[in-house]
Amino acid sequence: MTLLKREEWQQFVRDVDWTPTYVDDEAIYPEWHSGTGKVPREAWLKWEESYKVSYPEYVTGQREKEAAAYAVKAALQRSSAFDNLDEGWKSATKMHFGGVGLAEAAAVLGELKMARFGLNGAWRNMAVFGALDELRHAQVTTFFGHEFISKDPQYDWTLKTYQTNDWVPIAARNLFDAMILTPNVVDLAIELPFTFETGFTNLQFVALSADALESGDVNFANMISSIQTDEARHSQQGGPTMEILVEHDPARAQWVIDRSFWGSARIFSALTGPAMDYYTPVEHRRQSYREFMEEWIVDQFIRTIEDYGLRKPWYWDEFMNGLDTWHHGLHLGLWYWRPTVWWKPKAGVSKDERDWLVEKYPTWEKLYGDKWDVMIDNINANNVEATLPETLPWLCSTCHLPCSIVTQSRSGVWRVRDWELDYDGRKYHFCTNACRQIFWKDRDNVNHETVIDRFLAGQIQPMDVGGILNYMGMTPDVMGDDPDYEAWTRDYVGRPTSGLAAPAGVVS
Amino acid sequence: MTTTELPLADQAPVVVPLQAIFATDFCPILVAVTTAHTIDEVAAEVARHVEGKRVRGLPYRKQVIFKGRVLPGEMTVAESGLSPLDHIAVEYDIPEGEATE
Repeated sequence: MTLLKREEWQQFVRDVDWTPTYVDDEAIYPEWHSGTGKVPREAWLKWEESYKVSYPEYVTGQREKEAAAYAVKAALQRSSAFDNLDEGWKSATKMHFGGVGLAEAAAVLGELKMARFGLNGAWRNMAVFGALDELRHAQVTTFFGHEFISKDPQYDWTLKTYQTNDWVPIAARNLFDAMILTPNVVDLAIELPFTFETGFTNLQFVALSADALESGDVNFANMISSIQTDEARHSQQGGPTMEILVEHDPARAQWVIDRSFWGSARIFSALTGPAMDYYTPVEHRRQSYREFMEEWIVDQFIRTIEDYGLRKPWYWDEFMNGLDTWHHGLHLGLWYWRPTVWWKPKAGVSKDERDWLVEKYPTWEKLYGDKWDVMIDNINANNVEATLPETLPWLCSTCHLPCSIVTQSRSGVWRVRDWELDYDGRKYHFCTNACRQIFWKDRDNVNHETVIDRFLAGQIQPMDVGGILNYMGMTPDVMGDDPDYEAWTRDYVGRPTSGLAAPAGVVS
Repeated sequence: MTTTELPLADQAPVVVPLQAIFATDFCPILVAVTTAHTIDEVAAEVARHVEGKRVRGLPYRKQVIFKGRVLPGEMTVAESGLSPLDHIAVEYDIPEGEATE
């Protein structure tokens, strides 16, 4: 018996659907999951993915990718490649393993929701492949990270991160719960495949892969670029969903893309910004974080919203200005509060590195140089203690990241400013105006308590640094520290200093 | 006589957590003071975390700014109107002509 050609049967199997006669359509596709809103039910009939795949093709293709990824891993496992990697670069990978590993598992749930409640047969089909993809990603990421635990206990946080109340997974959980787990599938398709996956993940999985190769980490580069080929397929659920939504409810399309673009931009400035501009050895940095953002995110995003007849988000100026500031402030925060993270934050401010930073970000020295100088001088005066925290940084009630953003007033003064909201008997503080605006509009969605909220409510005991680290699941063998203080402070030894804190126990 | 009927100065101190930013620091922090502290003591408590550690210490008096007003240094937190989770800025009181920014 000869098999039919794919073209002869594909259009049947990709879009299996029927009109239910035993139950109402509403019972199968309730509004709160399927989220059709103002879009007429029959409008979803024309949903069509650009790149079609059948199950046999999927299995063959994925099998080849898996074989290739694991072959490279096995080959490098027998080499000394890992031992020769830069410590700063390894921290970039630890951030990824811990911060992304189980986020992929959350994405499985998002894809399964679309597979069940998507309002078109072909969409549901694509989402099944999407769920298989994300399951693969969770598996690959956790398995690759697992290999290194015997060499470095921080890699144990590949699996542990999302099982703790460390402030980083709390921030990520707050974003992903609202983006993946709580929305109806129409909003989900705009937030996850359309905004987060089509744009932002390219930053972490393609652009960072370039830095990985430059840094000699072929294993990691291979892993993330292999993962991204799957992304390119299942992220295409966003486009056709957006096309239909824009036609019938452009205001909703605009809001959903705006809020998810902002949240994605905030989290990536914390994850990818420091990795690209500080942890990657300076000689291996292909481009700056800002340059990568402009190439992969900004240009593409503008083209996309023009294609769909949407407007630039209301916060666009605030976002564009943030390309010069957000990740620098977050890097400072990740370094200062390094005992709370599961990697070794490299300060990355030797004279050569500063020259690079100033070249890429002309305001860097004015906004951040002085803070680093004081910490450098403290370290050179043998007072590392002065560079360790005794209290919490303020965390934004929307993005849960430190409110470490400086802005310039009309008179030219740069300061961190407060964005406050008094609502329902509580005071909230935010890192930016846009985070406050999004919180207000989205206040009925998932909003986890920040670590500050929990601390003030007495959930963290004892109420001191030890109590906070314990609450976060931080253990001494994993606690972050700079891997090489001397590497970035030696350039400044012997310079005259003033205005430093007295070492503890010394009367100044 | 209940606590709320006692004059302010005689009431037991209550913890007042604040969001504070010190001068040119890069991030606001959580600081806990009490209603019995003076504003000068509040400034010192904020400075303890940042001055000389991240922001270079300067030889000027420090002042607390709340909702755009400079609070008198000898005033207590109870008298100042500061309440839990309020935002304050601590700045150096730099004489005219000596400003570095």
